[in-house]
Amino acid sequence: MFRKYIALIRMKYVEMLAYRLATIVWMTGAMVQPLITMVVWTNIYPSQSNSFILYFITLIFVERMTSAWDVWELDREIREGTFSNYILRPFHPIHWAIAENIVYKVLFLIVLLPIWGVLAVFVPALRPDVSGWQFVLFVTALFLGATLRFMFSYICGLLGFWVTKVTAIYGMFEVVSLFLSGRIAPLSLLPPILKQISMYLPFRYMIGFPIDIVMGTMTRVEIGYGFFGAMAWAIIFISVLRWLWKAGLKKNQAVGG
Amino acid sequence: MRRYWRIFQEFFRTCFVEELEYRSEFLGNLLSSFFGVGIAVLTVQIFFYQTNQLGGWAYADVLILLGIFNTLQGAIDFALRPNMSRLLEHVRKGTLDYILTKPVDSMFYVSFRHLVFWRLIDILLGVGLIIYGLVQKHYIPSLADILMFSVSLFSSLVLIYSLWMMLMTTSFWVIRIDDLSFIFYSFFETTRFPIGMYRGWLRILLTYVLPAAFITNTPAVALLGKWNGVTTLLSIGIAGLFLWLSRRFWRYALRSYTSASS
Repeated sequence: MFRKYIALIRMKYVEMLAYRLATIVWMTGAMVQPLITMVVWTNIYPSQSNSFILYFITLIFVERMTSAWDVWELDREIREGTFSNYILRPFHPIHWAIAENIVYKVLFLIVLLPIWGVLAVFVPALRPDVSGWQFVLFVTALFLGATLRFMFSYICGLLGFWVTKVTAIYGMFEVVSLFLSGRIAPLSLLPPILKQISMYLPFRYMIGFPIDIVMGTMTRVEIGYGFFGAMAWAIIFISVLRWLWKAGLKKNQAVGG
Repeated sequence: MRRYWRIFQEFFRTCFVEELEYRSEFLGNLLSSFFGVGIAVLTVQIFFYQTNQLGGWAYADVLILLGIFNTLQGAIDFALRPNMSRLLEHVRKGTLDYILTKPVDSMFYVSFRHLVFWRLIDILLGVGLIIYGLVQKHYIPSLADILMFSVSLFSSLVLIYSLWMMLMTTSFWVIRIDDLSFIFYSFFETTRFPIGMYRGWLRILLTYVLPAAFITNTPAVALLGKWNGVTTLLSIGIAGLFLWLSRRFWRYALRSYTSASS
């Protein structure tokens, strides 16, 4: 298993190199919207600028590290029939996707961490007062968030066995999650009803929850509940994924088949 | 000029016929446009849940700004965006030769050949939002306001076209990226909110280097009756300047274009 992964990762690494420029462009572009939102909030609450700067820069980092694109890949592969190539191999196709995710996210990490380091020299707000324990919690929550977002995207992609417009459906969820994951505003600033709803849906655990740990605004009990929610959603997603995979294979008829 | 207008009408007609083949998608597209506007308004509402002004603009003002943003975005998606990926392909495959040999201006042809009709809904929704904002504000623009608004809106269209064209022209060198329009949208996002929100060097950058301020803000201010002649003239000047620059750049790119086989 481990050796197979090394091979996959090496392959995906070479693939990535071919699209270096595109990757960097996408990455920079994805930062614009959070930065604009940050400017809006620092205008609304000028006295709390520093905490908003920390929030939204962490958001950019978390958003990149948890980003998921598998729904587009799966949609295309299932529609064009090339997905059959993967099904035939004696290795679950999801491992290809996981290897790809690892490669890209390591790249994001390598690019983003030095940028953060340089920025922190000039912007005091970016030197958060995080204890070692908090850091461990953050990394765990980030990992859970990435897993949740990846599985959600993969689940939507597998729906491609039944419906043709999965990317449109996924896009809709993405928009809903803008509000409920803490990307438009920190969840504490949302109207109470939206905040309530966000606790029960998976989106908050994908992005907002790790950020809130860094901000240090949650009590221990709230953090505990947060991890409980994230785990619960992870278990739900895993079961749905397995079930959809089995059902999808039965349903699958490649193009021309 | 008359000839180009006729050619444009011809493009319009052929694309319309093409689009009619996909009638069943119309409802979905309609829904997604409404959804888009709804989300944009909701975002503004989230901000105004915590405040009553944004960069000195009240809720209704921001709605008008958003309406203009939506209208312009609709215009981009209607006429400009569909052509971007095609130019990239022409350059990559060398089929640009066919366009260059046609007796039409090549820059005109590559930027308007393909149109996506249902995006006109976004323009309508944008106009609707502008009117709604005016009603909320209880403000009836005078004739002069509307005139100034139209002039500055026209300048922003020219400005957008020029910026877009410059980006599109880089495809002669950068062919690895499938969709350069992403870069434009990232910049265009900054025009969604009042420019007064940005501070320091960022504001200077967005006013003079990448003139985001003239794209949505100037028309919105004009419509609200707070226009002044100098700004309007300036917006025309800047639009003209950028159009000239993009034209020069296109010419320059064509000179360095070597078809696929050479």
